This record gives sequence, structure tokens and C-alpha cells, in this order.
Amino acid sequence: MSFLEFVEGPLFAVAAGIFLFGAFWRIVGIIRIGRKKDIAPPKASAAAGFVKGNLRHFLPRGIFAKRTAVHIIAGYGFHLGLFVLVFFGAFHVEFLNERILGFAWPTLPRWGFILASEIAFAGLIVLWVRRISDPVMRLISTPDDHIGSWLTFIMMLSGCFALQESHEMLRAMHMLIVDIWLIYFPFSRLMHAFTFVLSRGNSGATYGRKGMNL
Amino acid sequence: MQYLIHMSRKLLWLGALMLLLFAFTAPQLMAQSVRPPGNAVNLDDGTEPGPSNALGDVSDTEIWDQFRGGDPANLLGPALDGQAMTTTGQQWRMVRENLIRKYLGWLPLIVIGLLAVFYLIRGPMRISAGRSGKTIPRFSHNARLAHWFMAAVFIILGLTGLIILLGRPVIAPYLGLQANSILTSAAMQGHNLFGPLFIVALVWLFIKFVRGNFFQLVDLKWIFKLGGFFGSHVSSRQFNFGEKSWFWMVILGGIVISATGILLLFPWLVDDIRWLQLSTIFHALAAVVLIAVAFGHVYVGTIGMEGSIDSMLKGEVDENWAKEHHDLWYEEVTGKSAKEETS
Amino acid sequence: MSDVTDTAVRKFLEHTDSEAASFFEACVHCGECAEACHFHLSTGDPKYTPTYKLRPMERAYKRDKAPFSSLKKMLGLAPKPVTEEELREWEELVYDSCNMCGRCTLVCPMGIDIAGTIRKMREGYAAAGLVPEGLQRSAEFVKKTTSPMGVTLKALKAQIAHQEKETGIKIEIDKKGADYMATFSSMEVMGYPEVLGAYAKLFKRAGLSWTISSVAYEATNVGVQIGSAPMAKEILERVVKAAEDLEVKAVISPECGHAYGAIRWAGPNMMGRQFKFEVVHIIELLDQLRREGKIPAGTKDGRRMTLHDPCQIVRRGGLLKEPRKLLDESCDDFIEMKGAGVTNFCCGGGGGVSANPRAEELKTKAFSRKVDQLNGVEDLEAVVVPCGNCRTVFEDGLDAYEMDLEVIGLSELVAATLDDSDEKQG
Repeated sequence: MSFLEFVEGPLFAVAAGIFLFGAFWRIVGIIRIGRKKDIAPPKASAAAGFVKGNLRHFLPRGIFAKRTAVHIIAGYGFHLGLFVLVFFGAFHVEFLNERILGFAWPTLPRWGFILASEIAFAGLIVLWVRRISDPVMRLISTPDDHIGSWLTFIMMLSGCFALQESHEMLRAMHMLIVDIWLIYFPFSRLMHAFTFVLSRGNSGATYGRKGMNL
Repeated sequence: MQYLIHMSRKLLWLGALMLLLFAFTAPQLMAQSVRPPGNAVNLDDGTEPGPSNALGDVSDTEIWDQFRGGDPANLLGPALDGQAMTTTGQQWRMVRENLIRKYLGWLPLIVIGLLAVFYLIRGPMRISAGRSGKTIPRFSHNARLAHWFMAAVFIILGLTGLIILLGRPVIAPYLGLQANSILTSAAMQGHNLFGPLFIVALVWLFIKFVRGNFFQLVDLKWIFKLGGFFGSHVSSRQFNFGEKSWFWMVILGGIVISATGILLLFPWLVDDIRWLQLSTIFHALAAVVLIAVAFGHVYVGTIGMEGSIDSMLKGEVDENWAKEHHDLWYEEVTGKSAKEETS
Repeated sequence: MSDVTDTAVRKFLEHTDSEAASFFEACVHCGECAEACHFHLSTGDPKYTPTYKLRPMERAYKRDKAPFSSLKKMLGLAPKPVTEEELREWEELVYDSCNMCGRCTLVCPMGIDIAGTIRKMREGYAAAGLVPEGLQRSAEFVKKTTSPMGVTLKALKAQIAHQEKETGIKIEIDKKGADYMATFSSMEVMGYPEVLGAYAKLFKRAGLSWTISSVAYEATNVGVQIGSAPMAKEILERVVKAAEDLEVKAVISPECGHAYGAIRWAGPNMMGRQFKFEVVHIIELLDQLRREGKIPAGTKDGRRMTLHDPCQIVRRGGLLKEPRKLLDESCDDFIEMKGAGVTNFCCGGGGGVSANPRAEELKTKAFSRKVDQLNGVEDLEAVVVPCGNCRTVFEDGLDAYEMDLEVIGLSELVAATLDDSDEKQG
């Protein structure tokens, strides 16, 4: 078995398995801790609050716009760019089609892929330099924050390096780092990709009962 | 004893530097030249018949002359009617191989060497009054973000660019052609993807730092006193002459790099291939000059001058640092005299 | 681990339910919460970043209760255990620099309720005895007199007598079967006793019967501020028992911040059962009475005034519209401050901070955000502050910043602008 076959085959299967099982286990674990039922007479629906809370926090209120502008722009640039390039990049859809799903969907032209990647890179770089240059971020950041950022960046960079599709080694390196990233994911801060639904929902529900949508 | 430890640390640095220099020297010497070797034989001196599969008794030179439109001196002009090829590419290749690739790569190394020597002789410049423990704000968060975003993009582009430029002469002899091919392919993709981000970073940097970077009379005095690098105090406002020069080098050099880079990314934008040839020359020239001076910038901003890194990492600087290096700015910002001691 | 640490960590873990856990798991340390916190904004000190205040509890959770925590401990990758030194270092952050105002939640991309989690974190601190002296003293007063300021029944009766004289209306004590039982904050009773007269006037006009309990007149709940669930429950039980003994239809929560949340939202959960009465905030009640036409508005107050939204009543209490409607009808020149309503700045004194002399300087500094808000309204003459604690903070703060502004309570304003054309016969 070649190195490429290994990282795209058995190692990928293990990594994906750890990723899926780990994420599921963690989410279920959080929910299972449980919370006492709130018996105070509600003013409005907590369930509706759960949903509203999830939607409301996609954008901070206008009064905070100036203070949070760079963070929001860089944050969305990174997340949206990454989402687009992963799920609409021809190489990725091809991989998913062949390896897992058995079907494909329309993908971006190469220039669209490059553009999405550029936005994603710019966003991630700005987010990380923000983390090291803002006194608040410098105080509250932990190693997990930095590792998460760098691992994601290196994963994206290795993908960028393999764009010419002319050397197996570059493709294999990218896949290897993807596998490492998938294994790291469920044990780290990267899980915010799933946990944000719970946290927004929980406070949305708590405030929703009081008739407030924070 | 302390002195011995101190000196041996310095010697270790010097040794490391020499090793680095040597590592780069060797392959440069081994780099292939593009001229034919001295003992080559010219088959076209008219005495020997042409190769057996030649098309008659017209010499090779004459055949190529015809392709070139008949004028052996026309090495640089655009294609004429009936001309099948130009040789401007050859001229370009000469410049790129023999000037750029052979010599330009030395520039950053020379700068690193000079910095090392300067550090060994002068040492890091400490804040003479010591840290006061009180700070004043110097750069806004947005300005810091602009700087570090540019730094990140610059480093990525610089490294990938150097690999593309110097891979063949410098890396291939050590790691082999296959490894070089992998590295260069990776570098090319990375360089092309991050290139447009440099333009974004440049615009952001310009907007955040242009105010305060215009040259003034006080800068002349700074030049005459050699920036205080060799003793003596010089006055400065928010940015001194050195910083201002670096800013404009980055902006102007950056504009050259950006414009040439755009042409190289989208070559169909021009009809005449000479634009692209010039672009590669000026792109490399401006980039390597910036890389070389960037080492100086990083040196002063980190180990070369105590207290400098705070300005860009935390946005605040120690008051004594401000009074020593940017006294006029300190007075403007705080309203206090720079000559008074900070309690 | 010391006893103190043991107890604190145990309580941290006990009170980390799935809600708090989801918050710890979702925080990506993005620092936005600092942009909303008046303590950080007024001092520039990064240690006042709201998420940072939760650090010891977050660490305890991630070490001992989070999914995969045992696995990480085996591999030596779990966070280090919380030390007593850290707990003591954090005491000032948990008590002096957090009003549990909830403003940070507004800006958090993950919608984390840091205020509510600080409340849970204080359970650990209270159980371990790491509570600021000022709050401890309040707790002792409450044990002796039910009031955190030591207001005895005698003192209350004196204030009541004075207000009866002023208004000419009798105020009943311990009247069984009354419609409403009113509770008050000690701050109101001693500092702004006109509110008693205002209630009398308004309820007489509305034609409803009300009373004050001689054993449960205090609305504030120092247990909530300290963060001790047992203490909070004990204080609340007194009010619940008195109300149920007097068989009132509803208990009125006064113009006080946390008192409303304590009885309305936390109350039944603390008691483990529903109350035999309703809970209504005085502002809610006045708004309801006005809509029913029972307290029609008369001549409006002509001063230019604005409204300060107490955090526990508006943002965390749910009464956003009511105070505004009442103000609109009671005054001619009501102008909202920039950022009023849900995004309002806390006065800086809630959550036990104003009872904590150690936090005095910090609290005054934090008030500078409020000062900015007030200065944004030109020619402001008065500010309506429907919370007794906020009122005191305002008076101290305006004094410190040398601002000349009148501070008014909402009930008093509504009572003063009541249409009393019918009364002229009386």
C-alpha cells in the first residue's frame, strides 16, 4: 500500500470514525448532564426561545457593530470561505463521491475555488493575529485555541500546495493533515462547530421563558 | 566567568551564521551557467558538412536567422512580418539566470550577516532609563491587525517566492530534482493563491499607517545623526526616518510587486510578452529587496531594540521607551515633557 | 487540595448542569464579551473580560465533569486542578467586577449566559466561605432583622406612619385576604419612603386592597447575591409563607433589581413547587392598571427625562415595554438614551457590588459608562430609575462625576402624574 493509499484509506476511515463518534459522544455527554426543569410560570415559549437564540446570535446588535466589526468580518470570511471550498471544491466533492457518498453535485469553477480559499485564509490569519495582538485575547487564550487555529491553517495550506495535482506526495500530505485534524477535532475547541447550537439554544430558552430574546 | 559565557554565546551565533552562509555559498558555486562550456565545438564554421539529416547545405545559423527575420542584431524587438520567432526570451533568460538568480539571492544573506555583526558589536539597544512600568498607547488594534496580516502574508509569499526563484540552483543540488519539483509545485500554488491577499494587505497597511509617515524636517536631523544607532540621541515624532523609509519602500515596492504579480497571474492582460518578462525581473528584484530589508525591520522590532515588540503586540509602549526613541511623539500624545522623569 | 478548594470545586461541579456545560464547551475565547462589559470598558484591564471571570469553574468542569475528562486525565492532558490561591485571586473578579447584568450575552457569538453562570459559580464561593466582607455583613443583618440594611419592623412602621400622614391614606399591615401583598427593598424604605405613599395613592385610585406583612416586608434576597441557594431559599420562604398565610392573590415585587428575578423566575424552582399566589412586578401591575383605565394619567411632568433600564428587570427580567409606556404617558419630554432598552449599561451596583465596600472605587469607575450615556442626551433634567439599588448608585455616581440630575422612581412619578380629578371630592 502506498502512503497515499494509506492516508486516504485505512487512516481516513479511522480518523473519520473518531471524528463522528467523538463528536456524537461529546454532544450526548453534555446533554446527559441534564438540567432541572424550570417550573416558574413562563411568559413565553422556551422552545421558541431555543430557536430564536440560535438565530439571534449570528449577528451582534447594531450598537456593538464598530467594536466587533473586524472579528465578525474575519470570522464569517473564514467560516463561509472554508465551508464553500470544502463542500463545493471540485476535488473535495470528487473525493466524497468516490469514497463515501456515491453522488456528487455542482461545484465551483477553479477561480471560484481560489477566491473562496483566499477569503478563508485571509479570515483565519486575521483571526489568529487578533488572538496574539489583543490584550484580552492574549489573557484568555489557551494552547487549545492556538493549536486549533494552526492545525486548521496548515490543513488548508497543505491543500493549497497540492492544487497543481501533479505530485502524489503533496496530495498525501494534505490528506494526512486532514486525518490528524479529524482526530483532534472532537477533543478540542473545534467542537464549537456543534456546541454553539446547545449554548445559544440554552440561553435562548432561559431568556425566552421570560419573554426576552437576547 | 560571566564574560566568557557571554562571549561564547556570541561566538556560537557567529558560528551558526557562518555555517548558514557556507550552506548557501556552495550550491551557488555549483549553479549551472547557461553559456556553453569552453571546450564546445562549433560545427558551423563552414569546413564541416552539416549533420547527415540536415536539409541541404544551408548552415544552421542561416536557418535560424531566417526564422528570426534575418537580422541577427534584432534580439529585442517585437515580431516582424514573416518572422517566426523572437529571441527576446533568450535575453530575458540571460538576465534572469546570470544576474537575478546568481546574485540577487545573496542580498538577504548579506543583510543578515550585517545584522549579526551589528548585534555582536553593538548588542541589543536597551532602554537607557530602564522600564518605567507605565505605558502609553501607540498603535490601535486595527493598525496592529493590518501589520500582522501583512507580516503573515509577506512571510508566506516570501518563502514560496524564494523557493520558486532559487529552488533549482539552491535546493535541487541538496534534496534532488524530485524533491525540488514537489517543493516548487507547492510553492507556486501557494504563491499564486496568496498573491492577491498581498494587495489587500498593502491597501489596509497604507490606510492605517500613512498618517505620520510623511517626511519632515526632523527626519533630516535623524539622518545626520545616523539614527542614534551609534550613540547620541535623536528626536523623532511618531515614526523616525528609518521607519518612514521602510514604510515607503514597502508601499512603493509593494505596488511594483502587486502590478507585476497581477500581470504574471493573468498573462492574457497584455499582448506583448516583454511586459511579462520585465514583470518577472522587477517582481523578483522588488521582492528580494523587501525581503532583505524586512530582516532589518524584524531585527529592530525584536531583539535589536528593547521594548519595540510591545508596540505591535500589545499596542502600548513603555513611557521611557517612548521618551528615548520618539520624544516629540511622546510630548504630543501625553502633553508632558520628554525630559522629565516618569515617576 | 485544601478544604476550601475541595468545597468550592465540589459545588462548582454540582451546579454545572447541562446548560452551564454547554457554555463551557462552546466558548472559543473570542474576547467579544469584554466589549460589552462596563468594568472592562471603563478600566481597560483585560482581567475583567467576562469569560475570564469564569475560569476556575470552567477548569474544574473540564477536568472533572466534561466528556472525555477521564481520558484526558489519564493522558495528562486535562487542565490543572484549581488551587486555593487561584480561588482567592478570583474572588474579586467574581464578586466585585460582575453585576450579573447579562450585557455580555448580547454580544457573545455563542449566546453564552455568563451572568447566570457567575450566579452558579458563586455557589462554590459561598459554600467555601470566600465571600466579600460587605456581603457577609448583609447576610448577618438579614439573619437578625430580615433586612440586609438592618431595617427593623419598628423602623418600617415609623416610615409607614409618616407616609400615612403625608397622603392621608391608611396603609394596612398584615391584612388577611387583601388583593396584593407588597414587598419593598430596605433601600426604598429608608432612602425613598415616598414610594410607600405612592403605592397608597395609586392603589386607592385603582380600588384594590393591599397590605404589607410584618414578618416579610423585605424583597431583596442577599442569598441570590452571595450565591447561596440554601440562604436564598430560606429568605424566599419567609415571603412565600407570609403571602400564603395572608391568602393574598398576588405578591408585588418592588422597584428593585434582583428581587424580581429571585421571586418570579427562581422562586418556584427554589421552593420546588408553585406558589399559591401570582407574582407581579410593580411596573407590570401599574401598566396593567393603566391599560384597564384604573389609574388614568393626568397632567404630565414637563421635565426632560430619560429612563435607566435596570438589568434584572428589563434585560434579564422581561419587562422591556412596560416602563416605557408608563413614562410616555407620565411625561412630556421623554427621550431614550443611546443604547437604552436591552443593550442598556448596568449602573454598576447590582449583583451585590453596592453592598461591597471593597468594590467602591471600581463601581464608580464603571459608572462612567452610564455617565457617557446620560451625557448623550442634551439638556437632561432627570432620570427615571425604577430600582432602589440603582438609585443609590446613581446618586453616589452623579455626585462623584459632579453631574446635576434628578433621580426619580417610576411609581412615584406615576403617582405624581395621576389624574386626580375624581379625588378632589374626597
